[in-house]
Amino acid sequence: MTDDATRTLGKGSAPPGPVPEGLIRLYSMRFCPYAHRTRLVLQAKGIRHEVININLRNKPEWYFTKHPFGHIPVLENSKGQLIYESVIACEYLDDAYPGRKLYPYDCYERARQKMLLELFYKVPHLTKECLVTLRCGRGCADLKLALRQEFCNLEEILGYQNTIFFGGDCISMIDYLFWPWFERLDVYGIADCVNHTPALRLWIAAMKQDPTVCALLIDKNIFLGFLNLYFQNNPDAFDYGLSC
Amino acid sequence: MSGGSARSLGKGEACPPRSAATLRRVSGPGPGGRAAPERSHAGGSAPPGPVPEGLIRVYSMRFCPFAKRTLLVLKAKGIGHEVININLKNKPEWFFKKNPFGLVPVLENSQGQVIYESAITCEYLDEAYPGKKLLPDDPYEKACQKMVFELFSKVPPLLLSFLRRQNKEDCSGVKEELHKEFSKLEEVLTNKKTTFFGGSSLSMIDYLIWPWFEWLITLELNEYVDHTPNLKLWMEAMMKDPAVSSLFIDPKAFRGFLDLYLQNNLEACDYGL
Repeated sequence: MTDDATRTLGKGSAPPGPVPEGLIRLYSMRFCPYAHRTRLVLQAKGIRHEVININLRNKPEWYFTKHPFGHIPVLENSKGQLIYESVIACEYLDDAYPGRKLYPYDCYERARQKMLLELFYKVPHLTKECLVTLRCGRGCADLKLALRQEFCNLEEILGYQNTIFFGGDCISMIDYLFWPWFERLDVYGIADCVNHTPALRLWIAAMKQDPTVCALLIDKNIFLGFLNLYFQNNPDAFDYGLSC
Repeated sequence: MSGGSARSLGKGEACPPRSAATLRRVSGPGPGGRAAPERSHAGGSAPPGPVPEGLIRVYSMRFCPFAKRTLLVLKAKGIGHEVININLKNKPEWFFKKNPFGLVPVLENSQGQVIYESAITCEYLDEAYPGKKLLPDDPYEKACQKMVFELFSKVPPLLLSFLRRQNKEDCSGVKEELHKEFSKLEEVLTNKKTTFFGGSSLSMIDYLIWPWFEWLITLELNEYVDHTPNLKLWMEAMMKDPAVSSLFIDPKAFRGFLDLYLQNNLEACDYGL
């Protein structure tokens, strides 16, 4: 069980106190892909942290003091400093904490990873649209075609580099920034979108062997349970699968 | 200005030898004046040769605000560089090998490494070259600059949309949106109680957002910051910066360019040359 297995806070909940020294706090939601990025970095770098899950359909009033639009993920440290936007949060963690560096040291290689992120920018929107369309009982052939095209672009990168991971022979930041959407392909019902991209499939397999990715893998049945409730507009969706 | 096309090199011609006439070297902190900009490279031109050691090359366009970001950083850090302008209305085929998106700015160094996306080029220059650091070392302060950058992100498309509509349809909706976005930036300055977006001295975030505020000045739209006094003061402070003032666009040239550009005229990018 991951350390974010706590019930969400919603409207009417009391605001949490300050973040204890030696910890960093993440405002999150167990199934959100953007927050997933930040949780991967926290895990990969072994950063001591606490997670507060937010009920995204019923946001606490106090949460808007953490983010003007109530988005997640948001980091809060013991100085009360707030950092948001998932990519900014991930880079902050890599800069602020010692140990394993997820971004490369070389400034050109760092720039390359940021350019790769630009290539990825259509994927989140397309995967979400596929999910919503399928759940509404409509076909999403056009969307899947567009998504396959994006995957072909990524396939080309792996082919050109001739490496397993997007940053080279070892896993690095860019792989973690991409991963959450690939983990969701199966549960969203669009796993066949990687049928024609063998290097990407190899990358997915290699990612599933990574200890960090494994530690945070979401159980398929729990995810499906969440999705079912979410699409019924049930506010309890976000706590699906919690025993407490 | 003649009606002829940009200096053309036919397809398949060998790349001409590098010479002072072919490549305008714009060196680091030199005396005042800039080297004369060369005409843009267009469809049919031969690809340029490799970048000479000791220089970095920027593929640019004289009036592009995104490329302006990179030029400002090059100037502010005194980085020796050469500029190759691209005709954005008639792009040379070879340019897509530098950037598959076909956009400026693009950096190319003497190792043949290519970096694109304006914000990425600026950060790369700050990290790769010595001298004054434009991005803060403190991870939180650096993250703050990136959060302000996100806050600013709606301004470029809004301003472009506003310029496209001017004198045509009613653009009061766009005006209102612009006011809203400027108010967000005003709030940052008010909360920070500093002149610049990164603190008491000018830093990366100021250069990254500057080019669109330069448009307000060149197009005499200063009234758009009338209700945001801190933003107005910031603009005045920016105008005093040596990099900003040395790269300031000539208002007549910009208007001339804009008129042609909005009509999709192939000569737009070379207006005034």
